[in-house]
Amino acid sequence: MAFTPSAIIFSVLTVAAYVVANFLYLRFRKTPLNPVITATVALVAILILFDIPYETYMEGGDWVAAFLGPAVVALAVPLYKHRELLQKNLVPIAAGIVAGVIAGLASGTLFTRWLGFTEELILTVLPKSLTTPVAMQVATTIGGIPSLAAVFVMVAGFTGILLGPYLLQLLNIDSPIGRGIGLGASAHGLGTAKAFEYGPEDASMSSVAMTLAAVLGALLSPLAAWLLL
Amino acid sequence: MKIIRIVLQLLVLYGFLLIGEAIQALLNLPMPGSIIGFLLLFSALLLKIYPLEWIDAGATFLLSFLSLYFIPATVGVVDYGPLFSGKGVLLLPIVVISTLMTMGAAGLASQHIANRSTVHKEES
Repeated sequence: MAFTPSAIIFSVLTVAAYVVANFLYLRFRKTPLNPVITATVALVAILILFDIPYETYMEGGDWVAAFLGPAVVALAVPLYKHRELLQKNLVPIAAGIVAGVIAGLASGTLFTRWLGFTEELILTVLPKSLTTPVAMQVATTIGGIPSLAAVFVMVAGFTGILLGPYLLQLLNIDSPIGRGIGLGASAHGLGTAKAFEYGPEDASMSSVAMTLAAVLGALLSPLAAWLLL
Repeated sequence: MKIIRIVLQLLVLYGFLLIGEAIQALLNLPMPGSIIGFLLLFSALLLKIYPLEWIDAGATFLLSFLSLYFIPATVGVVDYGPLFSGKGVLLLPIVVISTLMTMGAAGLASQHIANRSTVHKEES
C-alpha cells in the first residue's frame, strides 16, 4: 500500500461518502438508500467527473479495504455468541446451508455456462450469495473479478429483500428457522436485515446462516469451479 | 481505556488473519486466508483456549462498520460499465434466479428437517 497524497485524499473521501450515505439511510430508512449503493454511486460519479482512474483512487481505497480480512475473522465472534442456537438446531441448519450453498453454486455456474459467458465471469458470479468480504476474497482466490463479484452480491441481497418474502410465502416457508436460514444463506447481510422484520429468532437464524454459508461457500467454490467448468 | 482495549483486540484479529494467510500460503489451499483465520478464532473460542472477553469489543467495533470496507471494491464497477451494456446484462437475471433457488433450497431443507425432528420427539 502506498502512502501518497492520493492515498490520504481517497481514503478520507471514501470514509466521508460512507458517513454521509449512512446518515441518509438512517434519516430516511428506505431500502434503495442502502449506504453501500449510495456511497458507491457518489464515488463513481466523482471519479468520472474529475477523470480519475480507478487505480489512482485505489491508492486510498486499499487502506480502507485492508480492514476486510480482519473483519472476516471477526465474524467468528457473533457466530460464537449464537452457539446455543446452533447446537440446538444443528441438523436442520446444516441441511439448509448445504442445500442452499450447493443450489447456489450449481445454478450460478450452469446458467452462466449455458449462456456462454467467459470462465472469468462464471467465477465472478459463483460467490454471489456469500457475504461481501468473503465473496470478494473467494473471487480473488478462484480467478474471478472481486469488484464485479461485489456488485452481484448486492444484486443477490436486493433479490432477497424484494422478492424473498413472496418466494417464502409461495413455498410455504413459514417457520423462523426456514425463513431465517433461507434469507441468510441466499441474501447474506441484507437478507438478515429483512429477517429482523419477521422477528428476533428469524434474525439470529439468518445471521448464523450467513456466516456458515460464507464458510461453506468459500470451501466449496474452488471445488464447484473445478467440477462444473 | 476502552480505546486501548479495542486497538489491542484489533491487532489480535489481524494476528489471526496473518496466521490464516501463512497457513494458506504454506499448504497452498484454494481458500482465502481470512476464512482460515475465522476458523482458527472460532475453534479457539469454542475450545475455551481464547476467552470471548479478550476479542468481543474489538470484533464488535470492527463489524459495526463492515459495509465501509467493501466500498472501494464496489467502486471498481466504474471500469466495467461496457460489460452491462452488452450481453453481460443477462448476468443480472441469472443472479436473481440463482439467488431465489438458493433461498428456496435452504429454507425448504431446514424447515422440512426441523419439522420432522419435532414430530419424532413428540412421538417418542
